[in-house]
Amino acid sequence: MPLITRIFLKTGLLYFIGALFVGVALQVDFLGIPNLIPLFWHMLMLGWITQIIFGVSLWMFPGRIKEESFQNQKWSWLTYILLNSGLILRLISEPMIIQSVNYLWKVLLTVSAILQFVAVICYVIEIWPRVLSIKQRRKKKRANS
Amino acid sequence: MILLINKALNFEPVIWIFLPVHIEFMIFGWIIQFTLGVAHWMLPRFLVGEPRGQTFLAYLMVFVLNLGIWLFILAELRDVSNTLRLIARSLELVGVLLFASLHWKRVVTYNRRKTTKA
Repeated sequence: MPLITRIFLKTGLLYFIGALFVGVALQVDFLGIPNLIPLFWHMLMLGWITQIIFGVSLWMFPGRIKEESFQNQKWSWLTYILLNSGLILRLISEPMIIQSVNYLWKVLLTVSAILQFVAVICYVIEIWPRVLSIKQRRKKKRANS
Repeated sequence: MILLINKALNFEPVIWIFLPVHIEFMIFGWIIQFTLGVAHWMLPRFLVGEPRGQTFLAYLMVFVLNLGIWLFILAELRDVSNTLRLIARSLELVGVLLFASLHWKRVVTYNRRKTTKA
């Protein structure tokens, strides 16, 4: 299992636990943080589900370069960095747009949306050429050798 | 399906009480449970001892997660106090903590090769 997959899975596990904590907090409202419902669903669906789908597909899909380096897995690493910085920014700014009239929070939320979108683009760039049939894989192997 | 038809034709507004049930079943009952099951099956197994960790804890994880799901659905349908919802979400949290503790050490690589190309 490559390092990037391990990082995706372990980060996903932390979001998974965090999401369920938020789920419990939603029922008792002890945190007093507004806008928790979208945070709960996004920690679950992006922080956990999307992140493990990304991690496992980067590991399992054919055509992976097994030599570990940032250069060899640059699109995967960019996906990880952008997705998680976007998510963290969202976790901070989403409650704040309710609590504060400061325009900065709206800007940060927009930046978070853009970061997450660009992360998905990076993932598509990495995974698109790796969606191959066995026939296509053999053809590619022959062409490379 | 019934919810979607009702959205299109609006034949019975009461059906909307099933929306949270639908969400709970689809997200926790299906997608999340599916990922947990596949992860339990596919992640690298331990080289010594039980290959997938303690079987009893794995079954306990499934049990508490599903108990949480059903209690949450019951709370949504009966519109009872938040206490039942809190218990339900807490049980799901316990399930997730069990999952994390069972699988954290299985997120590893046993492959130490450095320079092979797929």
